[in-house]
Amino acid sequence: MSETDTTDDAVRTDGSGETGIVAPDDEVPTWSERKERKAGLPRLTYEYFERSRREDQDLRNESDYVERDVLGFPTWPHEVIRNLSISMFFVGMIVLIAAALPPSLEAPADPSSTPEIILPDWYLYWSFGLLKLNPLNPGLAVLEGGKIMSDQLYGVLANVVVVGAVALLPYLNKGSARRPVEQPFWAAIGVGGAVFSITIAALAVQNLIPIPLPLQLNIVFVFPVVAGIITYAVLKTMREGYMYGLNRRYYMLRPPK
Amino acid sequence: MADEFIKGFGILTGAGLVWMVLAGWYQTPSFFMTNQLIAPPPEPGNVFDAISIFLIDVFLWTAILGALTFWILIPAGREAAAAIESRRESS
Repeated sequence: MSETDTTDDAVRTDGSGETGIVAPDDEVPTWSERKERKAGLPRLTYEYFERSRREDQDLRNESDYVERDVLGFPTWPHEVIRNLSISMFFVGMIVLIAAALPPSLEAPADPSSTPEIILPDWYLYWSFGLLKLNPLNPGLAVLEGGKIMSDQLYGVLANVVVVGAVALLPYLNKGSARRPVEQPFWAAIGVGGAVFSITIAALAVQNLIPIPLPLQLNIVFVFPVVAGIITYAVLKTMREGYMYGLNRRYYMLRPPK
Repeated sequence: MADEFIKGFGILTGAGLVWMVLAGWYQTPSFFMTNQLIAPPPEPGNVFDAISIFLIDVFLWTAILGALTFWILIPAGREAAAAIESRRESS
């Protein structure tokens, strides 16, 4: 650390030393300060791009790096080779698994008879799983064990609750963070929701999962909470170090001069 | 830390892929039952079947124990070594 602090004024393109790109923390306006400005989005956009363009120009002018004075990797060959290798890996995995694990061909569907187990398309399993929450519909003592609403209405109301929560989210948090570490709580909420969408979808195909139903109902609601807590803890511990400081400076937009 | 993660993750996915393929061959009577990948394997008819059925458990435990080793055992061992070292230096 002390080495980078004492470097000379030469501009470096490798990110080390003081490039002059990133303003010091105490000069960067916070988001609330930024919101108070009335300049408007076009002005802000113009200033942002103009400043980054000028900084890039200054950096190139001052740079003594002759062979490659571009700040970034060229598309060809670097990015293309990388993307090709990733694409070929996944295509190879698809071919390998399709060859090694051919699933059995079952008998064709019989349109004249309804199958015993009816399922929607896989992307609607979460909603179907919410309809299967009838074991949680409580019998009330004041009704002598009777239920306050039918199991069908209970499942529909569960859908209303989940869709309502998702619809409410943008009003609670706009999502201005670019990285999960910037808002660990909301990142944890998101991970919990993603895990819940998987566990509740698994409830829809409960007949294919070798776990007793009461245990699976517990998993449906406990796993998302556990995943959210782990996410929050991990992200909180990541809020330090060089990379986090660097990201945090980019998170707050560079101030226009 | 990231190195240890990708080592454990590589072992988990690599050995898990081989386990999934072999268990799909020998321990999956049907893809529409709850006991796919975990059904008891059949009696091996030849030496290749016997080796494969033996390797199912080998790869399964390689995936589990390999990931646990690189994600928990080795980092915990390093933390413990560092703690012992710092305590020795302070005393």
